[in-house]
Amino acid sequence: MENGLNRVIDALPGLIWTMDADGGISFVNNRWQDYTGQSGETLRQTGLEPLMHPEDRAGYRRMLQAAAENSDTTETEIRVRRADGEYRWFVFRLASIDDAPESGARWCGIASFSDEKRAGAEDGNAPEQRLLRFANNLPAQIVFFDPEGAVEFINNEALAYYGKSFDELRDWTNAGVIHPDDIPQVQQRLAAFVADGKGGQVATGRMRGHDGAFRWFRSTLLPSVDAGGNIVRFISIRTEIDDFRKAEHLLTAEVELLRMVAQARPLAFVLDQLCRAVEEISPGSICSVLRVSREDSRFRAGAGPSLPDSYNRIFDGKPIDPGYGPCSLAATCNEPILSSDPLRDVRWAGSSWPGLIASIGLNSCWSIPIVSSSGRVIGVFALYKETSGEPTALERQLVDRFINIASLVIERAEADAELQRTSEELQRANRFLVDTQRLTLTASFTWDVERNEHIWSKENYRLFEFGEDAPVTIEGILQTIHPDDLPDVEALLGNATNGKDFELAFRIVPASGRIKHAHVLGTRIEHITDRPVFMGAIQDVTARKLTEEALNRARADLAYMARVTALGTLTASIAHEVNQPLSGIITNASACLRLLAADPPEVEKARVTAQRTIRDGNRASEVIKRLRAMFTNAPTAFQSVDLHDAVQEVLALSASEMRSNRVLLRIDLAADRPIVRGDRVQLQQVVLNLLLNAIDAMREVHDRPRILLVTTREEAESLLLSVRDEGAGFADASVERLFDPFYTTKAKGMGVGLAISRTIIENHGGRLNAASNADHGATLTCRLPTIDAATDEDPMNETAYTKA
Amino acid sequence: MEKKIIVGVVDDDESVRESLPDLLESFGYGTKVFASAEEFLQFEEAKELGCLILDIAMPGMSGPELQQELIRQKRDIPIVFISAHAADLLPTLIEQGAVACLAKPFSEEDLLGAVRSALARN
Repeated sequence: MENGLNRVIDALPGLIWTMDADGGISFVNNRWQDYTGQSGETLRQTGLEPLMHPEDRAGYRRMLQAAAENSDTTETEIRVRRADGEYRWFVFRLASIDDAPESGARWCGIASFSDEKRAGAEDGNAPEQRLLRFANNLPAQIVFFDPEGAVEFINNEALAYYGKSFDELRDWTNAGVIHPDDIPQVQQRLAAFVADGKGGQVATGRMRGHDGAFRWFRSTLLPSVDAGGNIVRFISIRTEIDDFRKAEHLLTAEVELLRMVAQARPLAFVLDQLCRAVEEISPGSICSVLRVSREDSRFRAGAGPSLPDSYNRIFDGKPIDPGYGPCSLAATCNEPILSSDPLRDVRWAGSSWPGLIASIGLNSCWSIPIVSSSGRVIGVFALYKETSGEPTALERQLVDRFINIASLVIERAEADAELQRTSEELQRANRFLVDTQRLTLTASFTWDVERNEHIWSKENYRLFEFGEDAPVTIEGILQTIHPDDLPDVEALLGNATNGKDFELAFRIVPASGRIKHAHVLGTRIEHITDRPVFMGAIQDVTARKLTEEALNRARADLAYMARVTALGTLTASIAHEVNQPLSGIITNASACLRLLAADPPEVEKARVTAQRTIRDGNRASEVIKRLRAMFTNAPTAFQSVDLHDAVQEVLALSASEMRSNRVLLRIDLAADRPIVRGDRVQLQQVVLNLLLNAIDAMREVHDRPRILLVTTREEAESLLLSVRDEGAGFADASVERLFDPFYTTKAKGMGVGLAISRTIIENHGGRLNAASNADHGATLTCRLPTIDAATDEDPMNETAYTKA
Repeated sequence: MEKKIIVGVVDDDESVRESLPDLLESFGYGTKVFASAEEFLQFEEAKELGCLILDIAMPGMSGPELQQELIRQKRDIPIVFISAHAADLLPTLIEQGAVACLAKPFSEEDLLGAVRSALARN
């Protein structure tokens, strides 16, 4: 359309538009935009109908219909909403415009203002009436109070919400619509306004609707003044904020619950509060939480503050059977389960649950699994209602939120319980360790050499007799070391500073003065590389030491007794051994005297006999010397011993015994370096024992030579000494019993010999074994470490002997 | 000159074998020494001996065993036993025909007395 025409159209006192054949708006004039406050573009897109009063829209459509049928001009009255929201009456006229096909427009409409025509009928034009009509049309509750606080007007929205008439609501605070708890607040506020026109303009409160439910509203109270500034009335505007309020409530409850979780309040308490929170926010619902035990797939009591205890108790420890009820099914299939009409629900047809739930007046149950962060069902949240049916949107929202909190609470509780269990276990283990250390008299420690830092177990303090609160320093430790052992300990310190592992036996002289023997072992902690830090153990070996010393003394005494006994059996042989040279001495001396007395004296011959006298005298003296060594109960002393020398001495001492028993001695001492570390007398005693046993074993042999073979040879850092006889031997089964003290195959003798011999050899780091020979008799073999191997021996063992 | 009476000495102890002949010879006897009973049995001219001084405890055949062997062979030779073991000097040896038993060490007089008794038995 041309601009000139547009200006004309815009100037006309009416709303003008054109429509195409299917009803689409093709043009609106500026008056439309001015009146409605909507842009031309919006009007073209949405059409005109949304701007019309709902009651008048049907009339408009009828007009369009009639116009389309007879292509004639039609007319109807329609209220159109002004930009400020007020509807005003217009007369709509529609005319066909067949002569403008090029524009596509089919109809032209004009709406002209017709309020004047209506005004007479409704007096709607009066300012007061317009205010009330405006108030009535607002989608909020409006109540007017006169300056004295009496109710003047209540709009349609409010009347509809409360479901009461104006007269019923006239006594506002006593009409039963304000929540009893909020009445004082309402009265105060109104009173304050009446007094000076001021006061809290905004407040929230609960108002009971026609359905009986209280909802939260936000109310604004404003004074209305005339041109002269006088208050003519108070206007109260209420908007429902129930959802907002509930969301706020929800948030508060959530924060409170999370705070309880953070404070580690007991699980039962938090779950109880959780249920109560849901019940408060969503009146009419009754909640419970059941826990699912991880161990045995049973329910455990959670919370159900509004359910009868008898009902809650049924579930505690109940096996989870999906056919029992919605909670069990939800726990089994990990999905929310709604039972909106339990008594008719086929899923629990055979179960006692529907009857049970009906008996406490509940008619629906919605069960939602509570899932842990790892996906395991750890509980079930249930929402019961007296009414049958689906959960409301609010309930769904609540449950969505609280399920997460419940999951958090239960998981936290389980984690706490686990922690508690672990911690208790740790404490138990620690107590056990302390007890063990006490029992074994073993202390443990870590020692940072450079920093002089010591971490000690309880037992360590006990060993050194230090107070547990006193700081441990190496200087303090050194003060308690026995002066004789101080050089060893200082050497250990030097090695430790260089990061070398250590082991040492030493003595402590603690405050009590009671000397303690200790054995320490330290190993460097490998992962600390920048400085030497050791961990180790230290054992109080005092009791063992004392026992060992006593045992050594007893053993030495017994060995001496055995030696005396053994030598006793040799008495006759020894007498023989001494008598033999004595006989020579006397005979030679007699011959010498006679040779000198001859005429002429045979001096040369006499000299020879005199020399023989001396020789035989020495021989006798040798025997006595050997005997004295064997009879001495000298303290044991380890030294290098030439085993061949020692054996030869014993053979010499027992030669006569062998001879008198007609034993043929064969000797094959083949070892190149027959040096062992040990006690010469003890080793000789063993050899003597073995020889005497061998001689004894052959006493009854008459059909073959009584050959006794003594051999030595070297083998893998050991020296083997064997004594072989041709006696009766023994059954293999009794081989080990040979070494039992008091076991004997002989009619005479105590049988202590072999037991003591074995003990002696073992104390020398060796072994003593017996074996039957293939043909006749037995072979007893001592295996002793050679001198090189012996020097590497456990130092403890050596100390034991040197101190014995 | 009358032929010297030869006294046999059987002893495994060399000291005895050296000293005893010297002493016996100083009394005018000849001696013949043996280191063992077996060696004596090998000796062909045993009947030449006036008597035998015999050690009791020896490796191999003992003095008393030799005595039994000589009885078995009906070689009658007076025997004087000597021994360093006092217990060896059993009366049975005398009953078996031994002249005397001397415990080592023995005196010149005891030896001479025993040898003379033995020789007197011939």
